[in-house]
Amino acid sequence: MLAKLTRSAALRARRQYVRTMFRFMGHALEAISRSDQKVIDDARPLPEGFVFQMMVLPSGPSLVLEHTGQGELRYLGDDYDGKVDLSIRFKHMAHAFLVLSFQEKTTEAFANDRMVVDGDIGYGVRMTRILNRLESIILPRLIASRAVKEYPADLGLLEKVPGAIGIYRRVLTGLIRDLRKEALPI
Amino acid sequence: MSRYYEFFCPVKVIAGQAALEHLPYELTGIASTRPMIVTDQGVRSAGLLDPVIAACQESDVTIAAIYDEVPPDSSTTTVRDIANLYRQQQCDALIAIGGGSSIDTAKAVNILVSEGGDDIAEYSGAGVLTRPLRPFFVIPTTAGTGSEVTSVAVIADRERSVKLPFTSSFLLPNAAIIDPRMTLTLPPQITAATAMDALTHATEAYTCMAKNPLSDAYATAAIKKIGRSLLSVMDHPRDEEGRLDLAEASTMAGIAFSNSMVGLVHALGHATGALCHLPHGLCMSLYLPYVLEYNLEDIREPLSELLLYLEGPEVWTATPASRRAEATISAIRHLRDELHHRCELPRTLRETGKIGEDQLDAIARQALDDGAIIYNPREASLKDIQNLLEKAWG
Repeated sequence: MLAKLTRSAALRARRQYVRTMFRFMGHALEAISRSDQKVIDDARPLPEGFVFQMMVLPSGPSLVLEHTGQGELRYLGDDYDGKVDLSIRFKHMAHAFLVLSFQEKTTEAFANDRMVVDGDIGYGVRMTRILNRLESIILPRLIASRAVKEYPADLGLLEKVPGAIGIYRRVLTGLIRDLRKEALPI
Repeated sequence: MSRYYEFFCPVKVIAGQAALEHLPYELTGIASTRPMIVTDQGVRSAGLLDPVIAACQESDVTIAAIYDEVPPDSSTTTVRDIANLYRQQQCDALIAIGGGSSIDTAKAVNILVSEGGDDIAEYSGAGVLTRPLRPFFVIPTTAGTGSEVTSVAVIADRERSVKLPFTSSFLLPNAAIIDPRMTLTLPPQITAATAMDALTHATEAYTCMAKNPLSDAYATAAIKKIGRSLLSVMDHPRDEEGRLDLAEASTMAGIAFSNSMVGLVHALGHATGALCHLPHGLCMSLYLPYVLEYNLEDIREPLSELLLYLEGPEVWTATPASRRAEATISAIRHLRDELHHRCELPRTLRETGKIGEDQLDAIARQALDDGAIIYNPREASLKDIQNLLEKAWG
């Protein structure tokens, strides 16, 4: 009985972790697309209004972003149910957890068939590069090296630290805004 | 190497002498009495349909329709026309005879005749198909693409100027029939380029990120057959045993790469094919040694192992362990040079005479967005790809 309860609590905690990480990443991607030139250059060729979704099958959690033009991404939250142009769907919560807890690199997850990609693969490659760039900037090098295929050799502390501070500040603002919305639904 | 992998290949392979004569039995086994052949003019004019039709006639199977106008780069309208013919003639199975284009076209036709409708674009993407399609058989007439064992098809939508990808395990044929008679008359340069395509499929399957023990077994067996038979077939084109080796190698390499994917050689090849219309097999031959050099430090161990399959045990044991990876690259370069000597297969981009140096930047940018790059063991940047293309230019 106790084992069952413990397991159930662990699964709930894992789901909550993935949900929180998706939300964090949604805000962080929005933030980095306003400050990092490499991300802006990678996102710019995406069509305006292009919607990207990353989710866990069968029914979430998820993160959804829209390209609003000129390389800027906008986080649409986790309850978006409109048209999606590109989706990357984890086959199971366990697979999403492996990636989001940096036990498996995003590219390894692709290679290991953990995810189903639907949409233009070229745009999928771009979004993967953007995710890698985000992880390289906001995570300490030791952890980032576990998350990306190759830590960028040209990313020095002078670029990384101010970039990370700016992103964390914007993410914090976004999360507070989310909490207010949830506390005071209109 | 991955600690986790998936492997799937439900295609029955019927290979060897008189393999074509097994087709009527296979058709009868699924109660098909009115199959349709999908092929191209080149295959028909080379007389490659004759043994298939003769085999069916002797076994009371009627070929209900033949469509022999599949273009090299098939389109949605071709698919619609063939599907209409299939319905008019009340066919009950599809037989693709040809190279990648005929096989991909037949896969797409099978979607329409099974699921209904006229617009193949509605079924584009991954995971759209949810049930088995009509009976489908493939008889390859080239030894390189491996399309007979892959679950993808690409069809051009000319109205919207896009290429539509279709991905589903339901696209796989019931059986692939590998008969050496079908490749005996392949011209030398196509024989060389398609074999290098198969060699690249196997080499990338064995050295890229999604490699796994089962695809490794297929990849190494394919490389062994190519190493043993390619140059001998170039010297003796009507060598049936050698032709069968190459055809089997192509199928095995197809099984390998459809389960472990390919990497930067294919990313570059797709971009070069799209922008400069260079044949895919030729692109593979051009880029393979340069990409292996670029990836060398990340793939030293698997690349060293490939020397055994490519050059045999004597060379492998005579080569110091620390030099085997480089020796594998040298062996591939030697193969490429020998093919140039025998049939003038270009060794560099410059030698193709179809690419301008000013196009290299566009190729690099397009390759950077190709899906295959995800599986490459090294994270290639735009600068890396530009440097690599400069080397391949020659």
